[in-house]
Amino acid sequence: MTEFLNLMLEPLQEVFLKFKSFLPNLLAMLVILLVGILLAKILRIIVVKLLIAVKFDSWSDRMGFTTLIRKGDVWTKPSAILGAIVFWLLAIVTLMVGLSALKVAAIDQVVGHFFGYMPRVFSASIILVVGYILAGFVSRAVLITAANSGFHYAKLLAETVRVLLAVMTLAMVMEQLKIAPNIVIAAFSIIFGGIVVALSIAFGVGGIGVAKRMIEREATETTAEEPKDEIEHI
Amino acid sequence: MACCASLTFYEAIRTMDNVTFRAEIHEQIEKAGNADILVGIPSFNNARTIGHVVRAVQAGLAKYFPDHKAVIVNSDGGSSDGTMEVVHKTSVEDFNAILLHHRVKPISKLAFSYSGIPGKGSAFRSIFEIAQRLDAKACVVVDSDLRSITPEWVELLVKPVLNGGFDYVAPLYHRHKFDGTITNSIVYPLTRTLYGKRLRQPIGGDFGFSGKLAQFYLTKDVWESDVARFGIDIWMTTTAIANGFKVAQSFLGAKIHDAKDPGADLSNMLYQVVSATFDLMENYADVWVPIRGSEPVTTFGFEYTVGLEHVNVNTARMLKLFRESLNNLREIWLDILGAGDLREVERLGALSDGEFDFPLSLWTRIIYDYAIAFHQKKLPTEHLIKSLTPLYVGKTASFILAAEQMEAAEAEAEIEKLCMEFESSKDYLATRWK
Repeated sequence: MTEFLNLMLEPLQEVFLKFKSFLPNLLAMLVILLVGILLAKILRIIVVKLLIAVKFDSWSDRMGFTTLIRKGDVWTKPSAILGAIVFWLLAIVTLMVGLSALKVAAIDQVVGHFFGYMPRVFSASIILVVGYILAGFVSRAVLITAANSGFHYAKLLAETVRVLLAVMTLAMVMEQLKIAPNIVIAAFSIIFGGIVVALSIAFGVGGIGVAKRMIEREATETTAEEPKDEIEHI
Repeated sequence: MACCASLTFYEAIRTMDNVTFRAEIHEQIEKAGNADILVGIPSFNNARTIGHVVRAVQAGLAKYFPDHKAVIVNSDGGSSDGTMEVVHKTSVEDFNAILLHHRVKPISKLAFSYSGIPGKGSAFRSIFEIAQRLDAKACVVVDSDLRSITPEWVELLVKPVLNGGFDYVAPLYHRHKFDGTITNSIVYPLTRTLYGKRLRQPIGGDFGFSGKLAQFYLTKDVWESDVARFGIDIWMTTTAIANGFKVAQSFLGAKIHDAKDPGADLSNMLYQVVSATFDLMENYADVWVPIRGSEPVTTFGFEYTVGLEHVNVNTARMLKLFRESLNNLREIWLDILGAGDLREVERLGALSDGEFDFPLSLWTRIIYDYAIAFHQKKLPTEHLIKSLTPLYVGKTASFILAAEQMEAAEAEAEIEKLCMEFESSKDYLATRWK
């Protein structure tokens, strides 16, 4: 009978001992989660206040970020969004650190993978932000320069430049995140190359009339030259 | 009668205060000790025209200031066409021909390549440094590409400083009614409205100023900024007015200079001039916000009519550019001007060439809106100001169409009307400038 009881109690004892040794880890995880989330909340408040102080929202308006997020049906202020991003980033990191405190081999492996992937996420985010700003800046510069030189299709040209730069940025981001890199590179080459070929054909075919008019104008200019401006603007 | 002593140079370099000069120049400055009058001529590849400018200056100094110690300073931007050699070799061969007999004090000449950021501002900085070192009482700066400069310009720019107690003398020229449109439609009305002084040519390029003002300019920390590259003219004028220096203007006749680079881009010109003007609005907001109205400034010189060459203008092409841009730049203009004024601009775009008339009130609000957008940093400066180009072209075309049959005085009256509009709408600018 005793033997039978021992047979029954031994696994329970083992579970209890295991739970006893696991309990500090669990408590450590809970403390880490609690402190981490509290810290994340405090940091979110600090970040938001700091962003408001440096007028981040009006800067976002000027840079077109606000318009971009409104297009995605998000109506929160950009400073609050950045605060939330900081909070959730810290919350996820806290969760990972907390899980690693459990010292479970399988979880440790997942956490290891997560932290190994973080630098890629970080650099991809930077590429995305810089790419977005650069695309906006370059396409606006193209638009203004082309419009000032009287080019009729200035807007179309600027939009094309913006799309090309956006495609390039996205390809770089995906490549950085190692999301099906071979497919991304192939897709990028096809899309980018396709756009260039399409533009070449479009300009070529569409430009026949323009070229004709230019040649005609060139011919008429030899007989009646258009008067040149002689204004001194300054 | 030769009266000028040329200088030679060594390659050694020494630094005087913040500007680097070659040792020989440094020695010549020390040897000169002091000067009553300093005439500065900034240059860059102006060998063709600078000789005439130097001769006119020498004759002016000999004729009107024979007993004053004078120095001519050529601050060069590294010309490769022998500009500095021309300066050294140039002298008035026969003073009898211009009814002069003798000069009591000789005129020294200094010609050197300035250091620092390439640009007219850096050239001027070196001139100010030398003026300070020589303790010059009166200074003059004249462009090196002038063809219409006469000895009288020296008198008209120096005497108000030397004998009249003025610190800054701006030029007053007679120009063709279609010339100087950036000055006439933006810089003059805006500067006059902001600072309350009716200086007709705030960016004329040829100025007289006191040694005290030259020293004041040197105290300003702007020599690494855009002022060193461009915008020195409006900076000098605004700094003088906004800091309470006594200002005047002198009538110099016609301004004719060497043909400008035909490839010079209008939107670049507009960017340089307007950004410098707006930048100064930031620095002197405390000064200009409370000012209302304007007052005339003392004007020296005998005004006379000058014959001006015909100016060809293609208004049809200008209006085409304006109309094309309505579609292309709509979003940018909407952000800067707001929906109401953009509608007004669009209404203009629908008018035929014969009916086209840019309202003065609309143009005034556009300039004020751009100033406010600059202040609020709505767009990168270059994008913001270059997007003004088609609007400016439209305004210029409208003025040309209206002034085609006008006499010069009538065209000037139109500019005066615009200035009055700027002044009466100043509250619009001041209340939005926060």
